[in-house]
Formats: sequence, structure tokens, C-alpha cells
Amino acid sequence: MSFSSNTFLQALNPKLSEILNPRAEKALQEGSTDEIIVLDSATTVYEGERIPTIQDISLRVKKGEILFIIGPNGAGKTTLLETICGILPLREGSVEVFGLSTKKYGHQIRKRIGYVIQEMDFDPSEPFLVKDVVLIGRIGLIGVGKRVTKRDWEIVRASLEAVGMEAFWGRPIGKLSAGQQQKVMIASALAGEPEVLLLDEPFANLDINARHDIYQLLLKLNREAGVTILCVSHNLGIPPETDKVILMQNGRIIMNSEREKALTSPLYKAFIELSQAEKGVYNAAKTAQEK
Amino acid sequence: MDLLFLFSRLSLQLLFKVILGATLAGMACSLIGVFVVHLKITAIGFSMSHAAFAGAALGLLINSYLSFDPLISASIFAIAVALLLGPMSEKTRLNPNVVLGIIFTLSLALGFIFLSFLPSGVVSSEAVQILWGSVFGLDWLDFLLLGLVNLAIVAIIIIFYKEFLATMFHRKVALAAGINVSFFNFLILFLTALTVSFTLKIVGALLVYALIVNPTSTVYQFAYDTKKIFIFSPVVGIISAIGGVLLSFMTNFPIGSSIIIVSSIIFVVSVIFSPKKRRGIVQQHQ
Repeated sequence: MSFSSNTFLQALNPKLSEILNPRAEKALQEGSTDEIIVLDSATTVYEGERIPTIQDISLRVKKGEILFIIGPNGAGKTTLLETICGILPLREGSVEVFGLSTKKYGHQIRKRIGYVIQEMDFDPSEPFLVKDVVLIGRIGLIGVGKRVTKRDWEIVRASLEAVGMEAFWGRPIGKLSAGQQQKVMIASALAGEPEVLLLDEPFANLDINARHDIYQLLLKLNREAGVTILCVSHNLGIPPETDKVILMQNGRIIMNSEREKALTSPLYKAFIELSQAEKGVYNAAKTAQEK
Repeated sequence: MDLLFLFSRLSLQLLFKVILGATLAGMACSLIGVFVVHLKITAIGFSMSHAAFAGAALGLLINSYLSFDPLISASIFAIAVALLLGPMSEKTRLNPNVVLGIIFTLSLALGFIFLSFLPSGVVSSEAVQILWGSVFGLDWLDFLLLGLVNLAIVAIIIIFYKEFLATMFHRKVALAAGINVSFFNFLILFLTALTVSFTLKIVGALLVYALIVNPTSTVYQFAYDTKKIFIFSPVVGIISAIGGVLLSFMTNFPIGSSIIIVSSIIFVVSVIFSPKKRRGIVQQHQ
């Protein structure tokens, strides 16, 4: 499945069918097996650091794939997502997205990517309304210095409706709960009609029902609009629709397998055992602290 | 002193100049203040105003030998801070606040060295004006330039409002949306440098920073919408500036000091009545 703006908007919210742009249909002509993200021996170092956060990463992602990235804390999962969208400069290797180098075409690439960053904790006094935050995700598509049109606002509203947050349109984001803020950030990423979604712990603050609803929405965007999804998550397991599972440790990919293979691999089992042990220690410490 | 008595002593033209100067300075500073306060770059405003002071002092020194407008050197110094800050922080791998601290003290030192070389008559008039501000020394060209700076700031904010909104919201989110955050950050620094330089004569180098920060901080106590902050900060800025000028006339305090006293009083009152503060207390108790 390849990407099309129209199919994206229809999958996002059927109400948008009236304002779809017929010109975007030509995007459907592209093949469905193209590699949309290509990393070759990519090494990224944070400013001021000497030790690379991710090292010698090679990865190929095809259009329309769903990838789950797992690994212990500090494994480099967030850095990998930031490297893919070109926010972090590369020290070595190369990263190409949509066939463009992130070094040269970072801004252009990011206009076609939706990135939900890890847990944002907004101050209750933050002067940003929900509608404006969602609009921010669409700014790249609107263009620098260009006016926000009625159509843009309709897509902003549709994105909020898609995540069940339309009632919070004019509310300050800082006054919302962590889960509601999370949904707004997801809506913001969707408002940009992304071809690729990079999701960093998007379900972290959501309850079980909300996790299910958001996951179903993402799945719909993937199935109907061909949106490629790379998701870092500890809260959803590995859903059956996942194409590939990437396991990271110490800034390296130590496993890159199809879901069925990954779930039975000793590495994955070891990671799950380690996670459960860590969770046990964390819960025990929390209980002791509460006592 | 009775205000009516005071106004009767001022010519209509002078009164117009005073009000116009205060309005333009209050508007420009408080508009820039929205960026400075929200991006928490108050140290930049502080360092920039002192760099402008050093530049203006150098300009005065040159002017005592050749005909030279100190505004030019003040602008050059302030813009130099905007240009140097990023690369200096990166090259030296120091926290920008450390670099700003050095720029601030160096500017102050240079400013006083330049002033010390001025002929005594100049020190007592123009130098004091640059330090503490005055609207009496302004000519129509100063007003025109300040008016143009205001126009440029308003136009740039209107054209790039959504880009500024994203830049102020969250650097990473703005970057991820495809915005050239470095460019807009530089644009903010450049406009700050320009504003500081052009309002130097009215508010004074040592106090212009407060007129940048106080009005926006006041509006922040009540507003949850960035657009409203952009609209109401200049209103508070203009009220502070005009109020300060009137206070200065009544008390004979320097104009810059008077403006800061008025804007600080408005800020304290806003904090007392701030609904955000009240909610914060409620949340803490819960």
C-alpha cells in the first residue's frame, strides 16, 4: 500500500471526504515495496558527548510496514527515531528517507513525517491552546509564511475528532491530563498527513481503552492510507499486525526479525524476562517507598 | 506635582513627542518580550542591552571627534551578540548562560572605559541619557526609525506567527514539523537586538531589559493563549511606558527608572490577582 493524501484523510476521518484534494491521488501510482527508510552504518552522538548514543545502525524499512522498536532504557530507541527524522546530526554513515539524505534535506523530510515525542509534561500555565498545538503538526505542510486556510483548520479539527479530543479544541494544553496531552500530540502528528509516523511511547499515559482506540486508528491509517509506522512502546506488547520487531541494546540493533520469528527468539525472551524483573524491582521499591 | 500644571508647562509638540516615544518603546519592547519570556532567554535580553550600551558609549566617543550617531554602534554591538552567541556556545562547549555572563560583564567594562574617555560635558548629558533614558534628546528621525522597527516587528510576527508559535511551544516538536528552528531563533535574536538598540535612548541601557520582560510577565499571569499574549503585552508595555514618563515628570526621576517602577508595580499587582497562581496553590494543596 502506498501513500496518498486523500486516502490518509479519509482513513483519519470520513467526514473529510468533502474537502479531499483530487490531485493527491497520483501518489497512489508508486510501488508498495519501495524502501522508504534506509540507514547505513549510522552513528549519532549527542552534542557535547563523546560516546555515540546509537552506533553502526543499518536498517531498511519498506513503505507501509509496521515496526515495533523495543529495548531497555538507554538502548537508543528515541535517538534512532530522532536520527531517522534528521533532528540529530549523524557522525558517521548515512540515513535516507523517501530517497533523500537527512543531512541535506532534513526539513523537507520532516514535512512528510509525523513524530510523536516521548512524554511531554506541560506546565499548567502554558499559553498554548489545543487547536494551536495540533496545527503545529501541519505547519510544514502549509508552508513558511503561508496563511492557515479553512481547510487546514478542518483537518486540525478532524485530527482531534479522530483521537476523541474535539471537545478540548479551545482548552489550554497544560490544563489537560497526561493522557489527554498525549492524544493531542498524536492528533498533531496526524494533522500533517504524514507518510511515516514515528511514535515514541505514544501509549504511555493512555488507559487500556484509549490504547486500543488509538492503535486501531493507527492501524486504519496503515491499512487504508499506507502510512509506515515505527513505534517505540512498552505498553502494547507486539501486536499481531507488526511486520518487524527491532530489539536494541547499548545503541545497537541486536535483533531485527519478522514478528513470528522475533517472539520465539531467545533474545526476545531474555529481554522480556529482564523487563519483568526490572518491573518487579521497580514495583517493590515503589511499595517500600509508599510504606 | 499636579499633572495639569505639568502639562501646562510643556509645549503640545513636546508632549506629543513624549507620549509617542513612550508608546513606540513600550510596544516594541513588550512585543519582543513575548519571545524573550517564553523562550526563557531573559539573559540574552540583559546581555544585549548592555552590549548596546557599550556600543552607544563607543559611538559617543567617536561622536566627540567626528559626527557619528551612537545608535549605529549600539545596533552593531547588540546584533554582534545575536550573531556570536550561538557559534561561541558551540565552539567553547559552554552553557549559553556562561557565555552571556561573560558578554554582559565585558560589555559593561567596555562601556565604562569608553565613557571614561569622553570629554566631561558629553558625559554629563548624552552618556547619562544612554544609561538612564530620556525622550527629550530624541529627534524626529529617532521616532521614524523606532516606528519602522515597530512596523517590522508587527509585520514579521503576523507573517510568521505559526512558525513562532511552534518555535516557542517546543523545539523538538517544531523541528519535527519541518520548521527551520535555528532561522526563527536567529530572527528573534535579531529583532531583540534591533529593539534594544532603538529604544536605548528612551528607556536607557541599564533598564530596557525590564521593559522587555515585565509587560509579558504581567500578561502571562492571566492569558492561556499565545495570540492574546501578543495582543495584550504591547498594551501593558505602552501603559507602563506612558505611566513611567508621567511619573518621571512628577518626581524628576530618570525616565527609564520611572518606567520600570510602573511596570514592576503592574507586574506585582498582576501576580497578586493571577488566577494561574491561585490555581497553582490549589493544586499544591490537593
